[in-house]
Amino acid sequence: MAISDKDFELLRDFIYNICGMYFHSTKKYFLESRLNRRMEATGCKTHQDYYLLLKSPRGSEELKFLMDEITTNETYFFRNVPQLNALENKLLPEIVDIKNKMGFRKLRIWSAASSSGEEAYTMAMILNEKRSTLLKNWIIEIIGTDINETVIAQAKEGVYNAYSVRNIPDMYKRKYIREDKGLYILSPEIKKFVTFNKLNLYDDNKMIFMKTFDIIFCANVLIYFDTASKSKVVQHFYNNLQPYGYFFVGQSESLHGVNDKFKTVHFPGGFTYKK
Amino acid sequence: MDKTAMIEKAEQMIAQIDDLPTIPAVANQVLMMLDQPDTKVEDVADLMLTDQVMTAQVMKMLNSPVYKPTHEITSLRRALVYLGLSHIREIALTTSFISAFEKDTGAFEINAFWEHSFGTGMVAKVIAGKIGYNDLEKAYISGIIHNLGIVFLSTYMREEFKNLLESIKGRSVRMIKEEIARFGTSHCEIGLCMARKWNFPEAYCEVIAFHHTPAEATIDPVLCSIVNLADMFCSVRGLDYGGNEWVSFDLHEEQAWQILRKESPELMQLDIERFCYELDDAIPDVQELVRSIFNSNNKTGQ
Repeated sequence: MAISDKDFELLRDFIYNICGMYFHSTKKYFLESRLNRRMEATGCKTHQDYYLLLKSPRGSEELKFLMDEITTNETYFFRNVPQLNALENKLLPEIVDIKNKMGFRKLRIWSAASSSGEEAYTMAMILNEKRSTLLKNWIIEIIGTDINETVIAQAKEGVYNAYSVRNIPDMYKRKYIREDKGLYILSPEIKKFVTFNKLNLYDDNKMIFMKTFDIIFCANVLIYFDTASKSKVVQHFYNNLQPYGYFFVGQSESLHGVNDKFKTVHFPGGFTYKK
Repeated sequence: MDKTAMIEKAEQMIAQIDDLPTIPAVANQVLMMLDQPDTKVEDVADLMLTDQVMTAQVMKMLNSPVYKPTHEITSLRRALVYLGLSHIREIALTTSFISAFEKDTGAFEINAFWEHSFGTGMVAKVIAGKIGYNDLEKAYISGIIHNLGIVFLSTYMREEFKNLLESIKGRSVRMIKEEIARFGTSHCEIGLCMARKWNFPEAYCEVIAFHHTPAEATIDPVLCSIVNLADMFCSVRGLDYGGNEWVSFDLHEEQAWQILRKESPELMQLDIERFCYELDDAIPDVQELVRSIFNSNNKTGQ
């Protein structure tokens, strides 16, 4: 069923206000197709009916199903290119400059909710390329955490499908990925930078020990949390970040109304958060 | 560098150009008419209607989703009544400015430049609305013309400016710094001198001169701040004409943000993230407006 502009705006605003994820107009047909699946599953005849369902007491449960449809739960290497470009060209050199002045040549990066490891390994590839220049004699520490042990095991294994690796620039692919019967195997040279651990972002006792990070990523996870949990988790990220560090969320996410301490830093095609 | 010295340098640069564009005859007559006491909107409209291109441009600028009029403006007369006599001058000047630089002879693709300009106008109007600024049209027009100096550089210093754009590719430097290093002046001072030559009202000259340093403005620092922020947001959200590739800015450290916050404390509540995402959504409208103004001679507005 085709979605009208009015219903699109209604549902977009609802999803944005509850989850903190914005649907650009260009994603209208994508949202439409995902909504259709959920409308079929729930027996809603119109988008208005479905909107009312989301707003009803059963809504929070249904919203989780919808978000699963929307995020598809799949990740891939080099997913957020504007973010990576800004990091590589602007933000990382700034951090390195500050730490060089302090004589502290160690970079700590956290991929929170690392899933099967693509985000963490993407950073490892980019940083490894800089080990003879910007990051000469630097220690690089990348930590991936996830609540799900199955995906942690996959991340540790470092074997991927074609979908995961499709966005890797050729230069990196040639160097760090080996193809074997349709599977794509990550080079040990990259794997060695990253450690993966199980961590529940709700677990305050463990979260307070995730200290002194220069860069933290947490993409497409907070959208599943209610506002109170979101605020708590984001406060942990805030505390765990160096004063000159950056906190990144997913491409269409927003922390508005979640944390009023973080400030936005804007770059071409995106923004990040800073203390 | 000293602003006075930079303005002098800009004047010298402009003086060297023999074929500087002039204001079209009709626009000039409109401006003269506006200087007369008791001028009526109807008379100005009749005069402007003799120039079909100008008429079409005004109608497109005001009827676009980028400008968001409260209702469709169907005739030039209505457009001028809607704008008010006080803004006809700027609209006449702005359309003249656009006509003067519509050809793609500069160092960059001119449509991308105009997309940035009209985008800045649109965002300036939105920000002006959010902080309760009393003249939204002024914000819109200021946004469109703020980079007058850039088109000068691109058109009349073509090779030098091309080299400059090339040299900052992939480097995280602000273009204006590089302009000062190479030319001893920047698009702000060059734009100011051109705007004065064309008799743009002082408040607009100030926006052109201080849209990168709004705290130095004296007539209307709030307007300069609005345009400054609109300019920066457009540069990072896909309405850029090259040269700002690695620009990043920390909103809270910008003087413009501080000036506007003082003006309107509610600005602190602004959902900046959503503001950016909505700006992404508006880009096709801006591109469509620019296409419609420059790539057709559609004659409307009778």
